Amino acid sequence: MTPRQKQLVGFVAFAAFVVVVALLPAFISAFRAQQFAFVGIYLIALLGLNILTGYTGQISLGHGAFMAVGGYTTALLMVGNEQFGQTGALAIEGGMKDVWTIPIAGLVAGLVGLAFGFPALRLSGLYLALATFAVAVATPSAAKRFQEFTGGGSGINLFGVPELTAGLTPVEIFGRELAFNDWLYYLCWTVALVLFAGAWLILRGRTGRAFRAVRDSETAAVSSGVSLARYKILAFGISAAYAGVAGSLYTIAITFVNPDTFPIALSIFLLVGVVVGGLGQLGGLVFGAIFIHFMQIEWAQQMDAVVPDFLPIIGDIDTDTPGAPALAFGAVLILLMFFLPNGVGGIFRRAGQALTSWRYSRGA
Amino acid sequence: MRRLPAVVAPIIACAAALILLPTGLAGSSADPGITATTIVLGGTSPLTGPAAAYASVARGAKAYLDSVNARGGVARRTFEYKIVDDAYNPAQTVQATRQLVESDNVFAVFNSLGTEHNQAIRDYLNQAKVPHLFVATGATTFGRDAARYPWTIGFQPSYQAEGLVYGRYLGQTRRGARIAVLYQNDDYGRDLLAGLKRGIARSTARVVAEETYDVTAPDVQSQIAQLKASRANVLAIFGTPKFAIQSYVFANRLNWRPLIVNNSVSGASNIMLLASEGGKNKAVNGSITLNFLKDPTDPRWRRDAGMRQYRSIMSRYAKGANVRDVYHVYGMAVAYETVSLFRRLGANPTRAGLMARARSITSAGNPFLLPGVTVKTGRRDGFPIQQGQLQRWRGGKWVPFGGLWSSNRL
Amino acid sequence: MLAAAFADFMQQVVSGFASGGIYAALALALVIIHRSTGVINFSQGEMATLCTYIAWTLTFNHGWSYWPAFVATLVFSFVFGLATHRIVIRPVERGNVLRVVIVTIGLLIAFNGFVVWQWSGEPKALQSPFGTDTIDVGGVVISWQDVGTILVTLGIVVLLWLLFQFTKLGLALRAAAVNPEEARLVGVRVSWMLGLGWGLAAVLGAVAGMLTAPTVGLDPQMMQPILIYAFAAAVLGGIDSPLGAVVGGLALGVLLNLIGVYVDFVGAELKLPVALLVIFVVLIVRPSGIFGRPEVKRV
Repeated sequence: MTPRQKQLVGFVAFAAFVVVVALLPAFISAFRAQQFAFVGIYLIALLGLNILTGYTGQISLGHGAFMAVGGYTTALLMVGNEQFGQTGALAIEGGMKDVWTIPIAGLVAGLVGLAFGFPALRLSGLYLALATFAVAVATPSAAKRFQEFTGGGSGINLFGVPELTAGLTPVEIFGRELAFNDWLYYLCWTVALVLFAGAWLILRGRTGRAFRAVRDSETAAVSSGVSLARYKILAFGISAAYAGVAGSLYTIAITFVNPDTFPIALSIFLLVGVVVGGLGQLGGLVFGAIFIHFMQIEWAQQMDAVVPDFLPIIGDIDTDTPGAPALAFGAVLILLMFFLPNGVGGIFRRAGQALTSWRYSRGA
Repeated sequence: MRRLPAVVAPIIACAAALILLPTGLAGSSADPGITATTIVLGGTSPLTGPAAAYASVARGAKAYLDSVNARGGVARRTFEYKIVDDAYNPAQTVQATRQLVESDNVFAVFNSLGTEHNQAIRDYLNQAKVPHLFVATGATTFGRDAARYPWTIGFQPSYQAEGLVYGRYLGQTRRGARIAVLYQNDDYGRDLLAGLKRGIARSTARVVAEETYDVTAPDVQSQIAQLKASRANVLAIFGTPKFAIQSYVFANRLNWRPLIVNNSVSGASNIMLLASEGGKNKAVNGSITLNFLKDPTDPRWRRDAGMRQYRSIMSRYAKGANVRDVYHVYGMAVAYETVSLFRRLGANPTRAGLMARARSITSAGNPFLLPGVTVKTGRRDGFPIQQGQLQRWRGGKWVPFGGLWSSNRL
Repeated sequence: MLAAAFADFMQQVVSGFASGGIYAALALALVIIHRSTGVINFSQGEMATLCTYIAWTLTFNHGWSYWPAFVATLVFSFVFGLATHRIVIRPVERGNVLRVVIVTIGLLIAFNGFVVWQWSGEPKALQSPFGTDTIDVGGVVISWQDVGTILVTLGIVVLLWLLFQFTKLGLALRAAAVNPEEARLVGVRVSWMLGLGWGLAAVLGAVAGMLTAPTVGLDPQMMQPILIYAFAAAVLGGIDSPLGAVVGGLALGVLLNLIGVYVDFVGAELKLPVALLVIFVVLIVRPSGIFGRPEVKRV
């Protein structure tokens, strides 16, 4: 298949996907629409992490922290921190409508990511994973400590704040009324699809090739004139910006932010999602996002259904058995790494290759 | 210019969808969650994650409700109690609670655990007019702000009230007490400290040192050493069991023997026994704490009817669970009151009716609470339980002294 | 007055050493795994916790006395570490680094879940082999438990040094880690060496757990806060150096205590971010740590 044809197939697939996303709420309950909104949020974060880890080869176990930066930025811009008694230079005045905070949250998180990219230059592979892991673990403590700034452990409650669109009343947009769940769904997926297209644009161009060069062989990249530092830092900045946008939407959706809403588990899930979805693929990431969302909510509940009852010992476990669902989840994760090293996206790619090579081999 | 379509396409598609597609608003029936044969309750609990130890609260409640169902339920309806895991993450609490309300259509949200977690869902539930019943946290706001949040009500004595009792007790019995406080750096620890300070306000007792810790701390050795250095003669431990045990261990190691005030969350007998390090740690002797539940590891209740009921329910409906865990008792206590509420509601329960009854409780004789502790709410009283019993650790067990303290009369 | 302030300061230093000894013990396990297999094992803490629970079960449920239980636990941990490597790590260790990371995280989740499942989250107590007695030196109290912890970790460092420098096995371990291809050529059974490395690290982890539990309390989350500090200690001291792990741990313990007490801005709540900062600063300024040898990347 020529690159041109591949691109065409890609476009068609994307267009079909957009149509599905646009039409889905009409066929599912309002509550499911809200759940899919969260899938969209995770997709945004995964897109960013994929740029960093899948394309540039830098492992981050700390993207939850960048989401937290975005989330807190949004909350503070909406509410301000005068309520925490902070006056003077660090006082932030609230009052910005929630949707407008999204790009700002992305920008702030992106800047933090760029700043992080500098020290990260000296680290690679496992050390970077370790350092980002430490960042994700330390961020909640820092947020609690600076409570004049962040609201501390109690966090910031956005429900009922006038700048928040969310609530139980329908939202008015383009002159039509929309249920809150549907509004959230469309907001998240519009942003997700725009950023998806953005990621695709970034990655197909020179920047993307440079990223891949950095991942595949640093020495080769340097010798072909690719500035390692510039692209590594850029990758951090972009992926952090994506995570910041995701965090901002997350906070708007939850209407609440505090140090515990972005725990280390989230950072771990994001990395898992990217790997399960398929590193270096864009398509599989949707599955990664679905995986994360349903694993978080449904795993403990659905464990009964997933594990067959006839398995000795393991078959006895259910939600009432503390610890057992986690044991099973860890085991599943390990098995996934054994059998699906390229994630779900890898399956797609192989299926796609099989299809096209069949065409070739027919001599058509 | 060729790049434009890729970015614009999704925006156009979604805008088109918004304009062209019909949208439905979620309708809500009068009072979901009630059928002819069931009452559906739902709540969140940290089944996994850092606070998994508190999942017993939900399990105890479920076991009690199961036992009530086995005897026919209330007004011929059985209880269905959906416990959803939130991994102690308020973001999950919000999502899980919305699921319970919008997808599972519960009648009431009941026994959800966690301070910030309940704060995160309180506005939503009040706006949706869903009962937010007996939240499992002692943060004062849940009782104090009843006017603003009429659909929300707590259960256990507030942490501030508990601190107040300790303060009054110290002020009355220890002239010039110099109090050192170790407190967890969240609302729970701070509420206890604030209550303590109010309690000693008009006495000669003083807080001479405060040290805090984050739950991510591996140990609190450094803090205890600092508190000892303040030459205090009373140590107040306002922290969770792991850190309370450590406090006793380190105080003992440093040869520091202040009077130790332990908080109710960490006051269970099995925790105290661990802290006493097999009898070698003498710092535990003379400790005092406030208690309102019957502790399953306390030999006092071996033949008590309420605790016999507890043990029998646990063995039949919570097989494999740890009977010694006092949080199961809490769960049963709150489930008992809930069942009483529904009995008062009668054959046609409504959400508004439930809250009205919840705000006018006068109940004594809860088999799982200490004898004499009553459950009472009123128009200006949003705290169901406000009483506790001070007890002193002697000879390897808690010995109650004095009468019941009522924090609303202090 | 000054004497009292000095005594308080020294007490903080002493408790810093005590906490630091615990970080050092776990850091040793991390160092050994990294040195023998090049892997950073995110589940090291959970493996240590699991082995400590085995010790607890033997002493509490089966009434064994301490030292036989201790030895039995060490044997168990060795087999446990070896088996984990063979079954779970070997299939993925030569591939993408990311897969290994996810696998060790999967182990972290699974082992933690297993511990909660088998032993519940209720706190438990493990007795200390050193007793609860203390010595008082001019107002500064030092406990035998803490002294014992530090002595044991130093003793382990010596044993490891002897192993690596003077035995054939140690040589084979080092060869397998540094250059597996050439080691194979001279007859070293590389995959068994790697497994041995994991077994050894698991033993060290178990020792760390059994030293930590009497002080900190035994519960499923026991090692989680310590893991980050142990990483910081290992990085500070040199991620391939056992001696570095111990020195790093002790130094970190004292540093965190003193900063926490005497720098108001930090306070006790920011110890974790400070440890994180240590990791960063070291990795940027001198990635090989205090005792490590700078790594030269060959093109």
